[in-house]
Amino acid sequence: MHAVVSRGLTVKDLSIVFETDDGVVEAVRGISFDVQPGERLGFVGESGSGKTTTALSLMGMIDPPGRVVSGSAMLGDLDLLTLSPREHAARRLVDIAYIPQGAMNSLNPVMRVGEQVEDGMIDHGADLNKAARKARVAELLRQVDLDPSVARLFPHELSGGMKQRVAIAIAIALNPKLLIADEPTSALDVISQRQVMQTLRRVQDEMGASLILIGHDMGLMAQFADRIMVLRRGLLVEAGPVRQIFRAPQDAYTRELIDSVPALERRPATAPPVVREASKAAEPPVIALEGVSKTYKRGLFDRKGNQALKPLTFSMASGTPMIVSVVGQSGSGKSTLGSLLLGFIRPSEGRVLAQGRDMHGLSAAERRERYRTVQAVFQDPYAAYNPFYKVDHGLAEPLRNFGVATRRDDILAKMRSACELVGLDPDQTIHRFAHQLSGGQRQRLMVGRAMMLGPKLLVADEPVSMVDASLRSSILGNLRKMKDDLGVAIIYITHDLATAYEVSDYVLVLYRGRVVEAGDPERVIKEPQHPYTRLLVASIPWPDPDRHWHGDDAAEAELAALDGAGAPAPCLVRSTLPGFTLKV
Amino acid sequence: MVRVLHRLVLMVLVIWLAASINFLLPRMTDRDPIEERLAQALGDSGGSAIGIEEMVAEYQSKFGTDQPLWKQYISMMGDIAQFDLGVSINYFPDRVATHVMAALPWSIALLGTATLISFVIGTILGALTIWRRKSAWLARIVPLFMILAAIPFYLVGLVLVYVFSLSLGWFPPARGYGVGVNMDWSWTAIGNVIYHAILPAMSIVLAAIGIWALSMRGMMVTVQGEDYMNFARAKGLSNRRMFWRYAVRNAITPQITTLVLAFGTIVGGAILVERVFVYPGIGTLLYNSVLLVDYFLIFGCVFILILTVAVSLMILDLLYPLLDPRIRAGGEQHG
Repeated sequence: MHAVVSRGLTVKDLSIVFETDDGVVEAVRGISFDVQPGERLGFVGESGSGKTTTALSLMGMIDPPGRVVSGSAMLGDLDLLTLSPREHAARRLVDIAYIPQGAMNSLNPVMRVGEQVEDGMIDHGADLNKAARKARVAELLRQVDLDPSVARLFPHELSGGMKQRVAIAIAIALNPKLLIADEPTSALDVISQRQVMQTLRRVQDEMGASLILIGHDMGLMAQFADRIMVLRRGLLVEAGPVRQIFRAPQDAYTRELIDSVPALERRPATAPPVVREASKAAEPPVIALEGVSKTYKRGLFDRKGNQALKPLTFSMASGTPMIVSVVGQSGSGKSTLGSLLLGFIRPSEGRVLAQGRDMHGLSAAERRERYRTVQAVFQDPYAAYNPFYKVDHGLAEPLRNFGVATRRDDILAKMRSACELVGLDPDQTIHRFAHQLSGGQRQRLMVGRAMMLGPKLLVADEPVSMVDASLRSSILGNLRKMKDDLGVAIIYITHDLATAYEVSDYVLVLYRGRVVEAGDPERVIKEPQHPYTRLLVASIPWPDPDRHWHGDDAAEAELAALDGAGAPAPCLVRSTLPGFTLKV
Repeated sequence: MVRVLHRLVLMVLVIWLAASINFLLPRMTDRDPIEERLAQALGDSGGSAIGIEEMVAEYQSKFGTDQPLWKQYISMMGDIAQFDLGVSINYFPDRVATHVMAALPWSIALLGTATLISFVIGTILGALTIWRRKSAWLARIVPLFMILAAIPFYLVGLVLVYVFSLSLGWFPPARGYGVGVNMDWSWTAIGNVIYHAILPAMSIVLAAIGIWALSMRGMMVTVQGEDYMNFARAKGLSNRRMFWRYAVRNAITPQITTLVLAFGTIVGGAILVERVFVYPGIGTLLYNSVLLVDYFLIFGCVFILILTVAVSLMILDLLYPLLDPRIRAGGEQHG
């Protein structure tokens, strides 16, 4: 009797352990699955679910203390798990290729792009002379929708989307049977994400390879995968065709993952901004921008420079807590706006007024007060902590520094209430090092830290883009609570329209340094009018396999026409918000 | 091009500033080199001290040391601008340049070679300790070099002299070349010079390898954690390519900075080694001229030192964009 040799990948009973000092951690526990040629299988799970570990074992890249303890992984008639490290390395790129997470840093910064596509071919003995290799590189770059001249560039000269495309070109160079894409677009904005995923889908179809997509973005999964496997703590929770998973999830955890995706259908009720303290309404605005612009110049001889933010005027009234979102792609000027609001950079023109005072004309004492009343939460919850101190150090310092609390027990009490405010157990938090906390805990603590000082304005720059989907909603909940209970005005900067829709009272859409559309989220995000906003919204991968991820070609064309027209289109103001004044 | 010009102006400024300090410092002692030198000469020849006052005054006016400081300064700067280092007091009437130029090749050859050798060996060793964590010989040899790095190199030099020269008699204990060897470009002469250079070079190499290895090791650890290393591995690249083109190529940039700076300080850093081995280099020359407060010779030696540092810094600045394409873009990077 002949064993039927599957043409795709068949994994049976895969178990992987990590032998640490604290005992054996079972990272992957008896997982079986298969992927057929041309099929797209999604691995879903939070960090620690074993999805990346599983993929690495197929690549032969599990390093001690990790160990594959059982299982087989048949790719054709080859069992990947029985290969020696050397044999396994020889199969990479040839039979099985990896498209890395965070392609921002996945390319060697000192090598030209073309050379990095070529070196894989050379090391795997592709029988090509130099001219043929160059031709193949050009062909590959064209295949991933890049101009062949990109081969001569260095990675830092490419955008994030272009780098990700280069990574795909590298992976498909030798026509592998299996592609593993590990969160390939997690660092990209929605528009680039959709474009890159379309390219990936097309090249996979052309090659007929099997594909495993690893990720935690259920929206992306719904739009991209044919079948989905949900993993949790190394166990297979649920597997099935994408429609079955989204329409009729069997496991509560699967449902939880799906529900954690902010969807435009489910906007949580939030108190509309009202003038809560009439006495304060007469005070100068919490923050006001008067014709503020920012131009970056490259070197002394760059007369013109690059105007990252075009002149912008708005103000947020005191006593009227609100969340205003600023959305846009990378390069839209939204982070520049954030830095201006925090006073980190000086405006090239105009003034930034905090409580009626110019941020850059303050006395030392006033500046201190301004630092206290304008707080920030940033994207990276890892980099915000000093790894040498326990987290209480970072919490106590601003308290002492701003004279909010000076006695030891006062400080401790403040820290404890800050933890409780954001739903953390103080006893499990304060006396730990940052690396002992999860990403979500760290980010929540950052929110708590900012709150502790009693600010009037909080600038939150992508606070949830690096945490798992399920934690996202709890952090966004913290922000809402701060507005509702503590009366803080919040500026929420993000590229993620869905979360902006979920939390904000008002949305500003920033495109090439200019506000192109403004209004309440119901109008701006659900019924966008400006072609840019339309393109952004159409690029969101919805967690619904039947809602086609079509993008918006008409919007794209209109936007291109607008860009070509020279004079910018006026800002579309869809609605107004009491307390928020925008001048266009 | 603008960048190069900018760097050149900066370099000239640095040289001028350092030269000014160099002019002032030796003149702050209350010793008079001319008087001392004449007294010494008289003592040697046994002549009478009558008329010494006049002689001192005569020589002082010849050297210009009787002039007010600012006049001396201006005339000195004028000479420097024409690359004239003046006349040595001690070796009168020899010119300073003659002595400096005679000593300079010795220092550059000895220290340049020794620095380069220790850089290459140390950097590769440091890189390998991270790349081949399991290697038994690396695990033994690298800590040994680290210990050696903790000992000042002139002490290493003294031990080397004791063992290999005084006890075993394999190498000469001192000097740059053998007595009676004719210094032409014959193989005999070159061989003799190398033979004499081995011990001093060894003392520097042994002491420096550990430092190079240590800093390279640190950079390699950082580079190993980079995403591009992981991706290179996922590509199944050959070990050799990953080591040289990905890991070492990225880790070596700060090493090269240090190397170029080390070349810049060769002239000054050599004093102790040259003293231990009585080597005819610029270190020995500087040492002797300080002992005799020979203003002009001190100035000449230190000026060469300043020149080498300033020139190396400029070379480094121009070299860096070649090492790291991210700098080539030019101008400041803004977030």
